[in-house]
Amino acid sequence: MKQTLKILKVAFQAINKNRTRSILTMLGIIIGVAAVIMTISAGEGATMQVQNQISGLGTNLLMIQTKSEHKAGINVRMGKPIYKKDFEILQKNAIYMPNLSPLLAIGAQAIGPDGYKSTMVYGVSYDYFYITSREIQLGSFFSDEDVKTARKFCVIGQTIREELFPGQDPIGKQIRIDKVPFTVVGLLKEEGSGGMGQDMDDIVLAPYTTIQNRIFGNRKRGYNMILASALSEDHIVDAKIEATELLRESHKIKANDEDDFEIMTQIELQEITSNITGILTLLLGAIASISLIVGGIGIMNIMLVSVTERTREIGTRLAIGARESDILTQFLIEAVVLSLAGGVLGVVLGVIGNQIIYKATNFYIPTAAYSILIGFGFATLVGIVFGYFPARKAAKLNPIDALRYE
Amino acid sequence: MPLKKVIETKKISRIFKNGDIEVHALTDIDLVIEEGEFVAIMGASGSGKSTFLNILGCLDQPTSGDYYLDGVHVNKLSKNQLADIRNQKIGFIFQSYNLLSRTTALENVELPLVYDRTGRFSNSKELATKALGEVGLEDRIYHKTNELSGGQQQRVAIARALVNEPALILSDEATGNLDSKTSIEVADLFVRLNNEGKTILMITHEPEIAQFAKRMIYMRDGRILTDEIIKDRSTKESALKDLELTTEPKE
Repeated sequence: MKQTLKILKVAFQAINKNRTRSILTMLGIIIGVAAVIMTISAGEGATMQVQNQISGLGTNLLMIQTKSEHKAGINVRMGKPIYKKDFEILQKNAIYMPNLSPLLAIGAQAIGPDGYKSTMVYGVSYDYFYITSREIQLGSFFSDEDVKTARKFCVIGQTIREELFPGQDPIGKQIRIDKVPFTVVGLLKEEGSGGMGQDMDDIVLAPYTTIQNRIFGNRKRGYNMILASALSEDHIVDAKIEATELLRESHKIKANDEDDFEIMTQIELQEITSNITGILTLLLGAIASISLIVGGIGIMNIMLVSVTERTREIGTRLAIGARESDILTQFLIEAVVLSLAGGVLGVVLGVIGNQIIYKATNFYIPTAAYSILIGFGFATLVGIVFGYFPARKAAKLNPIDALRYE
Repeated sequence: MPLKKVIETKKISRIFKNGDIEVHALTDIDLVIEEGEFVAIMGASGSGKSTFLNILGCLDQPTSGDYYLDGVHVNKLSKNQLADIRNQKIGFIFQSYNLLSRTTALENVELPLVYDRTGRFSNSKELATKALGEVGLEDRIYHKTNELSGGQQQRVAIARALVNEPALILSDEATGNLDSKTSIEVADLFVRLNNEGKTILMITHEPEIAQFAKRMIYMRDGRILTDEIIKDRSTKESALKDLELTTEPKE
């Protein structure tokens, strides 16, 4: 132990003697660790946002849609569409799902008096507002009555308001969607952008009846999905079973046949997205780790040069009684200290980098504690792995040759 | 009472193999050096004196024969044990000093104590300061080695060789890089250390430096050719006087 301490001091002296070179060697590790921390944190930040967004949909949420399958990377609808009839059966019989809303989605251009915007238009019922617990900032939602009579009312998000009615009160104004005029009755509260890129405020909501009749012009068209909320979180499973039974009946599916629809709960959705973002984080982290490995190769390179340059010194140390293990330890410590110091600076740089990104883009990146551990651990590992070879080379030098080395 | 044998070699040979060619660097060398001796080894290059010094310094092992250093049978030791023996019993002085650059004299002298595993030295700084005092560098202990002259650097190296209180000081052409006057001063320092009881073995190819020793061994072709006591040893004064005579311009 005492011997190790003495060697530690020797290693520190050597690093200090070549300060510029030591810092340059560290640079690779600094950048590598910072990259690991920033990418992992960014991944975590995205995950958090997506999760928040999904939670924001309401914890009791169920999504009922036609079964789709991936074929050659494309989502293909497999089952029978969900029709008005299915919705009515659910509405009439469901006990565990007090709120139900069809959802018809269409990408369209919303045109206002002072601007226009490509956006997503959703046809929904009044229940949608309960299910998703979205709140209104100005005006009001359209009513059940408006839905029944298919009035040309709509509720818009903040992004639409900014583009179409900059600095104005949009309530009572008209916008046109696919040439159909709608009266704005409400403005949604800001929800923030989703982690996967979609803007939850870039949205127009209208009665599904109006969308079906006026925009699609086809009363028999199926719905994209039915949104439902369970009585409470405890009843989600009951609600899912209930919806399955009702829909199987409605679709006349035989006892042994598979469902031709999918019901996803909010929890399942969270799991899926968490898997996706998890893979994404892993991938980003792996890419960042490559830069750490490159940094490690930098350390090895410099250490090899250093060993050659200090051959005489090593010979002298061996001659005056250093054991091979002393030399090995010394050079290994030098490598590890360099990479650890690089690790510390990398952590600092990474945390600062996260702050800068937050300030610049408003995309909040929480610095994940485990990313610091990973960055640090990786840096140490890199130091040991890439420091070992040069250190061994130094230790195995023949003292007689080393002493005469020019 | 017979004096302690610091070095005892029995029929030491060293053969280097290079493919099929065998080079007999040393052949059957018997040598005894007792405590307090000051021996100079001379010989042309290729005479085997460096090989012999490497073996005596435990940096190399003989191909055959036995070597006892301060009573320890060196032949059978492992690499680590050899390192420890070098650390405890030998002080090396090299032609090119081999000091750590950009490091203070004190830290350089402390170096052998870093590798001491016996724990017999408690205060390495104090010991290093004392050793630097012995070579007359007490006012230079915090100077970096690159701020010192050649002669001063070699004295730092001598202090480093003294600090672990070795049984034997081995000097390999210690004056080879120094001018004549500084060489004489270093040789005089050896004499002083020897007078204090240190056993010194030095390799040199300068007869005037060898003349400071008590005993001179002349090697040729891996064997000891002559081994005799020096009768008219040089002193600092006589050597400096000779130097003046030889360097004075002729009229």
